[in-house]
Amino acid sequence: MNIMELQNVQYTYDNKKKVLKGINAQMEQGKMYAILGPSGCGKTTLLSLLGGLDSPSSGKILYLGEDIAKTGLADHRRSHVAFIFQSYNLIDYLTPMENVALTSKLPSLPILEQLGLTKEEARRNVLKLSGGQQQRVAIARALASDAQIILADEPTGNLDEDTAAEIRAILKDSAHKSGKCVVIVTHSNDLAKEADVIFRLRKGELQASDRLDGISLKRQ
Amino acid sequence: MNLGIRAVLYTVRKWKKTLLVFALLLAIMILVLSGLAIADAQEEQSAELRGTTGVSFTVSRNTATGGWGSGNGGSYSTQEYLTPDMMEQIASVDGIKAYNASIRTILCLSNTKGQWLEQLEPTGHALVDCQFYSYGCFNSEYHSLFLSGALVLCDGKAVDMSDDNEIVISKEIADKHGLKVGDTIQAVNTPLSDDQTMELEIVGVFEVVADKTDERNNFNEASYYDYANNAFVSEAAMKGLLENYADVGYASADFFVSDPEQLEVIIHQVQSINSINWNNFLVTANDEVYERVSNSISDTSTLITTLVIITTVISMVLIILILSISIRSRKHEIGILLATGIGKTVILLQYVLEIFLVAIAAFPLAYLSSRQVARALGTLFGKTVENVIVTPHHFILVSVVGTVLLVMAVLLSCIPIIRFSPKNILSQME
Repeated sequence: MNIMELQNVQYTYDNKKKVLKGINAQMEQGKMYAILGPSGCGKTTLLSLLGGLDSPSSGKILYLGEDIAKTGLADHRRSHVAFIFQSYNLIDYLTPMENVALTSKLPSLPILEQLGLTKEEARRNVLKLSGGQQQRVAIARALASDAQIILADEPTGNLDEDTAAEIRAILKDSAHKSGKCVVIVTHSNDLAKEADVIFRLRKGELQASDRLDGISLKRQ
Repeated sequence: MNLGIRAVLYTVRKWKKTLLVFALLLAIMILVLSGLAIADAQEEQSAELRGTTGVSFTVSRNTATGGWGSGNGGSYSTQEYLTPDMMEQIASVDGIKAYNASIRTILCLSNTKGQWLEQLEPTGHALVDCQFYSYGCFNSEYHSLFLSGALVLCDGKAVDMSDDNEIVISKEIADKHGLKVGDTIQAVNTPLSDDQTMELEIVGVFEVVADKTDERNNFNEASYYDYANNAFVSEAAMKGLLENYADVGYASADFFVSDPEQLEVIIHQVQSINSINWNNFLVTANDEVYERVSNSISDTSTLITTLVIITTVISMVLIILILSISIRSRKHEIGILLATGIGKTVILLQYVLEIFLVAIAAFPLAYLSSRQVARALGTLFGKTVENVIVTPHHFILVSVVGTVLLVMAVLLSCIPIIRFSPKNILSQME
């Protein structure tokens, strides 16, 4: 079932530079998507549009068939999507538990422990955690929410290999076990390999390929 | 997590920033409250000045426009005199609280047994020593000697239009002759003549406050010019005492106004009284002292008001600047909160709540502290400590206005950030 659909989405910077030229795509629940492409091609912009952080210059983005511009971008962000950013984007005066509680009413300690944080770490100031731990908190915040779509922008970009591998597994499980739609913007072929569908963004146009294409992309 | 918890957590955990804003709010509140208290004390002083300063105008014969006659004593003006009727008409103008005119004569005073009273420093000549320099007054309270402070009533009351046969004498004379308020003495203008002797009740006793060097009146050292040898009798009594002499009227009369600020208007109204020929009279405003003191107070008022305004404006600019810097440093947080779907209004409310939490602690403390500070600052502006009071009214006024300004400051600081999309904010931060 399509949870998200992009219909002829265009995006222009400052009314001059056209970054996205009529993107059409569908995304389903229970699948992990990777968006690949060279730097500055508009991957993060596309992710922002999917998450309602910005509005397209033209075209529509539908969530379960409804235009998110009409239902409200803030409502879309609050109810349908959860973000994982490369730079974690945690609130510095809150503990990991409190950061998770921003998006969830459920107890936040279990999910943090599930992601490898100790009780003491879960109550520490987030700035006193390592990069990998901060990213786990960001992931916990996304997973703890009721959102059916997880949008991740270079989630393993700042992490060491081992931690990156753990994060990849968590995201994959979120799609395949928790039934969420996970969309990842990445330069990492290792991460892209785990995706069910790979989108390649080039010159403002999006092309979908299967995992094999993802591997072949790795070979290029 | 709701905005209230976030606001409390921010306030507690970012305690250095909280402390800075707290100190700033405290200082601003103390200064503004003190300024208001001083300004009020100033206003009170001005009002008191308006009420107590003897601002008056004098209506006097205009000898320049009258004719001249001559007699044994030389030439004299034939200009008309002020009559009691004229004075009553003038006094009926709104804003005139009292008036006075007086006739001077030398009365001989004696006790009820007919024994002459002696002056303070008798010369040994009975008919000289019993002479007292006396004023027949419409209202002795407004006689220039009392208004100038040279004499002060220490017992009883002044003589005025309600009195018939009353007199006010000095304490020294009263003590010398064992007299007190309520006693009766006798007075006659010229002894051993047809002038009637009248019994006068002592209704008041005055003390001489003026320096001994000032005590002597203008002309010479004669003992009856000594202020202690002065007496004030009611206008009605003086009429009786001088019944053998022509009643020509009064050369001048002083009219006292309630509000010095209205003096010009009142004089204008007085000069519009048609039944009085204003060609024959001069009207002179006696407001030099008031103007001088008033100008000085007005200058101080302007200075205080300016200082209060400058303090408030600078403080508000400072608080907006600090809040703006503080909120700008929270741009990233705003982007994160927006990205998690928290609405702009909720974010604004959180920041408003944070400043309220600080204000709730700062405002009452400022109220308590400002009482002492206001007094200390007030003395710099020549105010007495007792007059500079920070009232609950000041506190409520400053708290309400301060709260409104703080909300505006938060909004002004947030709007430049919050108008961007979360993507723009977050990408700027990255």
